[in-house]
Amino acid sequence: MKLPIWLGQFETPIQIARQALLKNKVRTILSILGVVIGIAAVIIVLSVGQGIKGFLIGQLTTFGTDYIEVEIKVPNAAHTSTENATGLALGVQITTLKESDMKEILKLDNVRNAYSGSMTQQIVSYQGANKQTFIFATSASYSDIDPTKVSEGRYFTDEEDNGLARVAVLGPNLKQTLFGDEDAIGKEIKVGRGSYKVIGVMDKRGAQSFFDFDSMMYLPIHTVQKLIIGVDYVTFIFVQVKDNSISDLTAADIIQLMRERHNITDPNRDDFAVMTEAEAMNMLNTIVGAITLLLIAIAGISLVVGGIGIMNIMYVSVAERTFEIGLRKAVGAKSADILRQFLMEAIFVTFSGGVFGIIIGSLVSYLITVISTYLGFNWKFVMSPLYLLLACGVSIMVGLISGLYPARAAANLDPIVALRQE
Amino acid sequence: MENSLIKLIDVHKDYVNEEVVTKVLHGINLEINQGEFVAIMGPSGSGKSTLMHILGFLDKLTTGKYYFKNKDVSDLNEDQLADIRNSEVGFVFQAFNLLVRTSVFDNVKLPLVYSGKKFDKEKVINAIKSVGLYHRLNNLSNQLSGGEKQRVAIARALVNEPSIIFADEPTGNLDSKSGLQIMKILQDLNDSGKTIVLVTHESYTASHADRIIKLRDGVIVSDAKVEQRLHAKMEDELTK
Repeated sequence: MKLPIWLGQFETPIQIARQALLKNKVRTILSILGVVIGIAAVIIVLSVGQGIKGFLIGQLTTFGTDYIEVEIKVPNAAHTSTENATGLALGVQITTLKESDMKEILKLDNVRNAYSGSMTQQIVSYQGANKQTFIFATSASYSDIDPTKVSEGRYFTDEEDNGLARVAVLGPNLKQTLFGDEDAIGKEIKVGRGSYKVIGVMDKRGAQSFFDFDSMMYLPIHTVQKLIIGVDYVTFIFVQVKDNSISDLTAADIIQLMRERHNITDPNRDDFAVMTEAEAMNMLNTIVGAITLLLIAIAGISLVVGGIGIMNIMYVSVAERTFEIGLRKAVGAKSADILRQFLMEAIFVTFSGGVFGIIIGSLVSYLITVISTYLGFNWKFVMSPLYLLLACGVSIMVGLISGLYPARAAANLDPIVALRQE
Repeated sequence: MENSLIKLIDVHKDYVNEEVVTKVLHGINLEINQGEFVAIMGPSGSGKSTLMHILGFLDKLTTGKYYFKNKDVSDLNEDQLADIRNSEVGFVFQAFNLLVRTSVFDNVKLPLVYSGKKFDKEKVINAIKSVGLYHRLNNLSNQLSGGEKQRVAIARALVNEPSIIFADEPTGNLDSKSGLQIMKILQDLNDSGKTIVLVTHESYTASHADRIIKLRDGVIVSDAKVEQRLHAKMEDELTK
């Protein structure tokens, strides 16, 4: 086969490079290994990074995509700050968020629906089976808003909520823990000291959340406020909007309304935080972006180390083959021929490292996906041709950069001096 | 002159090392015609290797003129020198200078790799046949005896059909019998019209040439025809 001229000039250097590399198999394999690790790391970071992102977006959209959330917040602390998180975790009580706030929010133009809620823990028991259980207390409207539906029985009604009815809806895992395959609807269970009637079982949401909703129990918010915790406030209000494209404006309206109702003039003194789904998504992208960047930096370092390894070995190779270079020049090799030959060697090493790195990186990423899925995470295997192209490009670049100086050192050797080196 | 292959006019060569100038050749005038077998002789430090490097386009002269085939080649750049080495010159070195762990075939092929022409396998095989090593075609260079190695080197020097062959102490690392064989090959090549320049410090080896140029301290001290030329073929038969 006749190669085009521009490619033909690489034919010989490729053959020479191949022969030279085959003569030093162990050394070649070790240098390739350095690149394999770097490229595999890059592939894993990109693939797993996208997997994590997909997983986290799944987490967010599990509540729907057209919502605004109003949460309690420690005043003078930013919503996403450590002060707020530790403050709330250490038991700072924000008692100002009320169901009446939700009722006013519901009057806003772009608001379709809303539920308020709170969380607590109680021991739940049925016929000797005890389980420390998270209680998700909501308004009855929860079942209209949340994408997860009731699979057996029904959710509680506004009447039941307002009438402090002792009715419970179980997450599917909790139902399984307490009742096994037995029918749960209509059975009486103990929540703390009170007796509650099971009226429904939720659909499986999957263990795809920070909270395991499938192991929770859903109770009417008023029942929990009055009969279990003994308070009159809630910890969050979940607002469904009509037109998601103007949710920013609606969020601003909610903030204004809340400040009026809570008599707040200084925004720093806000005892609540409002976040739209878009903001949550932005925050998520920022976090995932930062993590990916960090991981790419780590992978980049391993590539640089691999590249330095290759440069080092190429210098050794040039020193070792000084005589050969001299001989090649004596029989008519130009400096450019020698340069091409050594560059080809470096690129051959990094490119094969790149190919093996892609294979190993893809396998490891796939394995991580399989294990994550097995552990119940909703995790997808992401492998884009762009990553493969990127990995190949990066590996060739590393070869070019790390091979350039040693190759130039070889090309510039004086044939007479080089020939004396045997 | 029609027949002139090499002509040097007042060639000087200085080496500069950390501002210290070492003058190696002082005004060399020399002409070598096509088909000659010339021996360059002289003790170490006389400048004979430097002269061979300049004649063989491995090194550049400092001042003076070098005409090769009546063309001025005094000021060629590195790439032009590489091209002319490839197409016009064959080298045979004292230390053979073969690529280790590389087959006879691949060693002989080497100059063709850089010739820029379509690879011709027949040329390689013919060159190997001409030094009588066809049976060793696929042997690795380190599996050969010294004499065989030098014959491979000669085949490599011949493969591109050069105008001239430079042999730098080609028998220096060989026993007398192998050395004689090498001289026989060189004389045969000369008989078939190839120009040969032999660099040696041994009078015996030089006596196989038909002209001896003697160098001392960078100047030519004598340049004369060999009166009683030795013929390797006859010597070989006598020893049998």
